[in-house]
Amino acid sequence: MLNLHPMSHPLTFPILRLLADGRFHSGEEIAQHFSVTRTTVWSAIQAAEKLGVEIFSVRGKGYKLPRPVQLLDEQAIMQAIGTERAWFHVQLHDSLPSTNSFLMQVAHPNLAHAAPHATCVVTQLQTAGKGRRGRDWRSALGASLTFSLLWRFQCGAAALSGLSLAIGVGLIRALHSLGLPQARLKWPNDVLIWQGDFPAKLAGILIELQGDMDGPSAAVIGVGMNMHLPDSVKQQIDQPVCDLYQWLGADMDANVVLGSLLKHLSEVLRVFEQQGFVALREEWLQYHAFHQQSVRLLMPDGREQLAQVTGVGEDGILLVNTAQGEQRLAAGEISMRGVA
Amino acid sequence: MDLRKLKKLIDLVEESGISELELTEGEEKVRISRQLQASAANIQYISAPSPAPAAPTSAPAAAEAAPQVIAKVDGHEVKSPMVGTFYRSPSPDAKSFVDVGSTVAVGDTLCIIEAMKLLNEIEADKAGVIKAILVENGQPVEYGEPLFIIG
Repeated sequence: MLNLHPMSHPLTFPILRLLADGRFHSGEEIAQHFSVTRTTVWSAIQAAEKLGVEIFSVRGKGYKLPRPVQLLDEQAIMQAIGTERAWFHVQLHDSLPSTNSFLMQVAHPNLAHAAPHATCVVTQLQTAGKGRRGRDWRSALGASLTFSLLWRFQCGAAALSGLSLAIGVGLIRALHSLGLPQARLKWPNDVLIWQGDFPAKLAGILIELQGDMDGPSAAVIGVGMNMHLPDSVKQQIDQPVCDLYQWLGADMDANVVLGSLLKHLSEVLRVFEQQGFVALREEWLQYHAFHQQSVRLLMPDGREQLAQVTGVGEDGILLVNTAQGEQRLAAGEISMRGVA
Repeated sequence: MDLRKLKKLIDLVEESGISELELTEGEEKVRISRQLQASAANIQYISAPSPAPAAPTSAPAAAEAAPQVIAKVDGHEVKSPMVGTFYRSPSPDAKSFVDVGSTVAVGDTLCIIEAMKLLNEIEADKAGVIKAILVENGQPVEYGEPLFIIG
């Protein structure tokens, strides 16, 4: 049986689960385990490689992943969410191009059976992750945790100002509970850790909205967190990055990390629903990486300006002091590049 | 409103054959009316409800005198559901979702409004042809600001 479609070989992920221990498994052993031919094993391995999974193949020894990988497990995720678990619908997929795109599709209000509130779509391997303005999010098997959470609101999109920052607060609370008190936020919601004088990015958030002006609306909250990045992936990323493995080592458990993130996100989202970002603003400022610091701002029209960050408004807007006086910014990015 | 944009608007009025176009953008209001016989468009700057001194009246002062035919731009306005930045394409190098003249179906993506990494893909809620794109790429938009006119 030869399956020519690389994305859909049914044995690819079952074999990867076997290889997750990081040891050699011979083609014969794998073939016997699944009662298939060695040719089938070979084509499933080919399909994995087409998805971008690196597999060592050594004559006489078999197949092996470069290092042990912890794959996600639905039961363990539910367990880790704790008492809040009844709220969630967790869908674990072996591989998806983008969890956000997938969830946006299945949550569409025109569907007869649109995904319910608090659906979490998570994948072992995201092959075409998205950043803002078409930037991609690099990933590899076991390298990062990529998931999207659907949250339905009664209000319209206009009332969701500040949601982006609220989500950042949820991520930081989860990281603190996992033993990373040094995690900080960059406006509006990148998660980073200072490494000496340089902030290294640990996680990113991208939220997509659907719905009418007057409501209801739905937010698809996409989170990408670096777990254990291979050097090859680190080198492809155009900014300083760090991963959880660096700080937590062997204690890191992807299921526990996801469970904790979902628990803290749902707590923060409930506060946001009832009181808005204003109730989380003080906490956000405690986690702010650049408070009262001089930074370079990149504006959406390409201009750059130097500014001192003074805080955030009740609607999540960035407050800065520039040569032109105090300004409120709803757009633009903070860059450390070029600031002494 | 900058001159480039004004010129674009004038061209738009010229090409479309409509007799008058009125736009509000923040504090500014612009009305472009075209006399049915003459080809030159009259431009009038009107300051919004603000008590500020009369805004500069640019170009033909004959505007007030000219007989104006009041006509609404035919079509359905697509408005911004939130404050943010208006993007016409999914990424800086990508093709625009739509251009003036594009035919759209209900559900087609017209633009993205971004506010603080909150992205809102605006879909056409009516089928038709894009008659006007009222905001430039990368510019800030207000809640309820008209973005497109679908005819």
